[in-house]
Amino acid sequence: MLKTNIEWLKKNMGPDLKIWTQMIKEIDWGEVKRKTKLSMQRDKERVVGEFKSFMAMSPAEKMDIVMNGDIHLGWLYKKDAIAFSRREWKGLKSVGIDFTGWLKTWAGMINMVMKDPFSIALAVFEYHWFASYLGTPVAIDRSNLGRRGQLLKSDIQMWGAITHWAEWQIQTQIRADARLGGDEKLSKRVVLFDEMTMAQMMAGFPNLISMPYQMIPVFMSSELDQLALIPFIDAVEQYGLPGDACPLPVAECGCAIMDEYPILGMGFIASSMPCDGSTMASSFQDRRFGKYLPYYPLCFPVRYDDEDTIECAAADMKECIKWVEGLSGEKWDWDNYFKTMDIMNECTRIELEKWEMNSTPYPQMVGSSYELFRKWNYEMDGGLFPEGIAVQRKLRDTMYKTYEKRLPAYRGGYAKHRALIWGQPAHFYANFSNWLANSWGIYILAEMEALNYTKMLNTTDKEEAIRDLCRLYERMVMRRHTNGGHDHVLGELWRQLKAFNADIAILYQHVSCKTMAGLMGLFDDQARENNVHLIWVEHDLMDPRTISRKDMRARVSNYMVNVMHAEPVDPTLIEFDDEASW
Amino acid sequence: MKDLKHLIYFENLLDEANNELCQQAKAEGMHPIGYTCYHMPEVVLNVDNCFSVRLRAPKTGTFDIASYYMSNYTCEYCRALVERAIEGGYNFLDAIAGVDACAEMNRCMENIEILAVPDMPEKKMFVTHCDIPYKVTDYTLKHYVVQIRNRFLNVLAETYGVDTSDKALRKAVKEHNEVCDIITEIGEMRKMDNPPITGYEFHVLCLVTYCCPKAKILPYLKETLKEIKKRKPDPQPWYRARVAIVGSEIDDLDMTRMVEQAGAFIVSDRFCFGSTPGRARIELNDEEDVLTQICAHYLKTTQCPRYMSQEKIQERRDFSDYLAKEYKAEGIIYEAMKFCDFWAFERTLVSHIMNEEYGWPVLSIDRPYMARTSGQLRTRLQAFVESLEIKQIQKAAKEG
Repeated sequence: MLKTNIEWLKKNMGPDLKIWTQMIKEIDWGEVKRKTKLSMQRDKERVVGEFKSFMAMSPAEKMDIVMNGDIHLGWLYKKDAIAFSRREWKGLKSVGIDFTGWLKTWAGMINMVMKDPFSIALAVFEYHWFASYLGTPVAIDRSNLGRRGQLLKSDIQMWGAITHWAEWQIQTQIRADARLGGDEKLSKRVVLFDEMTMAQMMAGFPNLISMPYQMIPVFMSSELDQLALIPFIDAVEQYGLPGDACPLPVAECGCAIMDEYPILGMGFIASSMPCDGSTMASSFQDRRFGKYLPYYPLCFPVRYDDEDTIECAAADMKECIKWVEGLSGEKWDWDNYFKTMDIMNECTRIELEKWEMNSTPYPQMVGSSYELFRKWNYEMDGGLFPEGIAVQRKLRDTMYKTYEKRLPAYRGGYAKHRALIWGQPAHFYANFSNWLANSWGIYILAEMEALNYTKMLNTTDKEEAIRDLCRLYERMVMRRHTNGGHDHVLGELWRQLKAFNADIAILYQHVSCKTMAGLMGLFDDQARENNVHLIWVEHDLMDPRTISRKDMRARVSNYMVNVMHAEPVDPTLIEFDDEASW
Repeated sequence: MKDLKHLIYFENLLDEANNELCQQAKAEGMHPIGYTCYHMPEVVLNVDNCFSVRLRAPKTGTFDIASYYMSNYTCEYCRALVERAIEGGYNFLDAIAGVDACAEMNRCMENIEILAVPDMPEKKMFVTHCDIPYKVTDYTLKHYVVQIRNRFLNVLAETYGVDTSDKALRKAVKEHNEVCDIITEIGEMRKMDNPPITGYEFHVLCLVTYCCPKAKILPYLKETLKEIKKRKPDPQPWYRARVAIVGSEIDDLDMTRMVEQAGAFIVSDRFCFGSTPGRARIELNDEEDVLTQICAHYLKTTQCPRYMSQEKIQERRDFSDYLAKEYKAEGIIYEAMKFCDFWAFERTLVSHIMNEEYGWPVLSIDRPYMARTSGQLRTRLQAFVESLEIKQIQKAAKEG
């Protein structure tokens, strides 16, 4: 590895130093001084405001703040800052949990770096997306706003599983990267697959390492840092792609154009899922990866309800398995596959229990951390990553305990409104559900992307197991709803609202998603027929320049004020500036 | 050149979906079947007493209602069809044979199914959604055949008692091939330096074969072929440059008219509603199942960018290059319907590749469904023709 490190340094040290020197020379120190002064002024105003507010409270209210923490979360945001102005005060009862979680996050990150410090240090300079991962602790804090006690602990556990998996992915990719770490032996054990495919197939190859190729540079970095993907999006649009294409495949293509994927692996499994844009991104990526990676297009039928489509799906899955066997020399291991799918089935059972609980007046597993965890657990963990099931079991134990105590899921109190999120959530605003709960008391009981395949996967019959695996893949996150006919997303919304006893649908209008856009009018028509409050919230998935976080909040606030005539739970969260933040 | 005898008649036929020949056929008891995509094998829609009508929305102005239902950033072709369906423009149809090949077209079909079909006069009217593969293998072909059989042909037989036997399919293929042979023969003439047909006229001829009952249009086509064979071109070629068009669907005559008004002769039409591969003969043998052979033809010849295997990706580029060379084009126009995801990605990438690796001058355009509304497009076409002319001058100076 050291040899590759030195090669990288020889190649890049000179030009990089020149760039850094130039950048330092170009700094306008007068402007820096002015901004620092302004920032300090804002801090001063906030501190004075918070102090006055606290002093104006009754002794009981003061005690409540000391014991249970902040109630004015809007004060945490500072204009033009990338992080919060301070940590949220979670109250004496929860501060230990919060601080321990924070320490553990940093410990995980340091542990990752220590696996190969030199290569990882070089990665910071080689890959511009890498720096976004420094925002991980802030992203966790953002997702836990308003959460307290055992539920806060659950959130931290969920994030723990996701970040540990991501750290493993990052350090493996960097160590195996021919540009940086250069561990060829490790690289030859890696099978890359499209991030819009699921991981479960690789349970049959326990000696290989499966990696969703674009997940770390593209998908996850955009969840942590709202501005992370702008260079990728701009690169493709400058290349000629119209601005109306979905930023997810666009950013994947941009990452390829800018040559920001680590070079590793024995082969790449491309996928037609979940949508047309994603299918087409494969031709851009093939142009980049095709130079050094064999490629298998794994394609599933779209009309997945028709059982006469399953044989085609199963045939392709078998071909793909054969392809991996041929490439790696490994044999598909049925025992390991069945064992892993048993774990997956247990996760599904726990998930069903959460949904059942969330349909009661006392929902517990709600919020941004849970939403992200569910997607990760279903799609990327799939029973393969040991921490996934361990956390699932802890969540189940916690939720029954907190349910018995009838605890509200957020600091602001019980749900004022019960809602579902429908449509694709904005990556650049991954904690929107928490904002809904903390600002207006709108509890998100479930989101569309969480409500996926719940049939127990066959773990005894080999033929049926392959068919079940295909059925699962066909119902991957987002594809489950947006493909295969309008009823999966349109009719399903009305059914799920009823099942969760919800009366509001927060309908994300991802402006570049053609599959959802094609049903806009029907959603409106049928919402009126079903007497449902439908709140459209536009966004552009990974590009906050089209519609900002502030604009998204305004859509909800306008509806709550003008239609619902509601009062906010936390008025400081109605108007604040976070356009520059992570 | 002297005008073609039936050109105005053909243009009039293209003025509305339910044209004179469709009305005649319907009055004779035939079943009009609407469709939009190459992946619904046209020939199976012409089985027995049915005839295919590839859906267009001629003379579309605005599509406000469709935009309400599908937003203003979905494919304009799809929205135009929804608007026309809501207006009642497809009320003459007995079925719509849809495919789930692209999400936007699928949503278009679903909107039509929910919003327009209940008001259509034919109460047995149905809309199908066949699943289409993303790559070509033996099992995807089998899948394709099952889909066409189960989702379309069986429903057609059950609903209207249509004969969908091998014999009936063979008859439909025979008639289809007759049309294809005529169009191909006329199309070949575009290879000439001074051809007896323009790209616009060819587009008109091609479109009527997609939008009219085959049996009804055949006599006119035969007569037109004879006429073109004898047609005397002007002493000097009328065009300033020869171009091939590659891209998404073009059913708008104003688009081809605009290209040729800019001085570019369209020598090759590799777009949906074009002749390559849409007017290629279907060769049948006596051994294999007929429907399988038909489906194999469509699967092998399709040039849709949704096919994501490496050999298909390469084949599309090579085929465009082949057509441009074969028809002596000087440049290629890569076009995509606004908001079409498949062609937006394909056009962007391949327009670079065709220029940088194959050496073709390329114009890459994003266009509206109705080209007449775009002055910017006209300017870009004119500039492209001028750039090709400059290349001609530079080439001549170098050679001579």
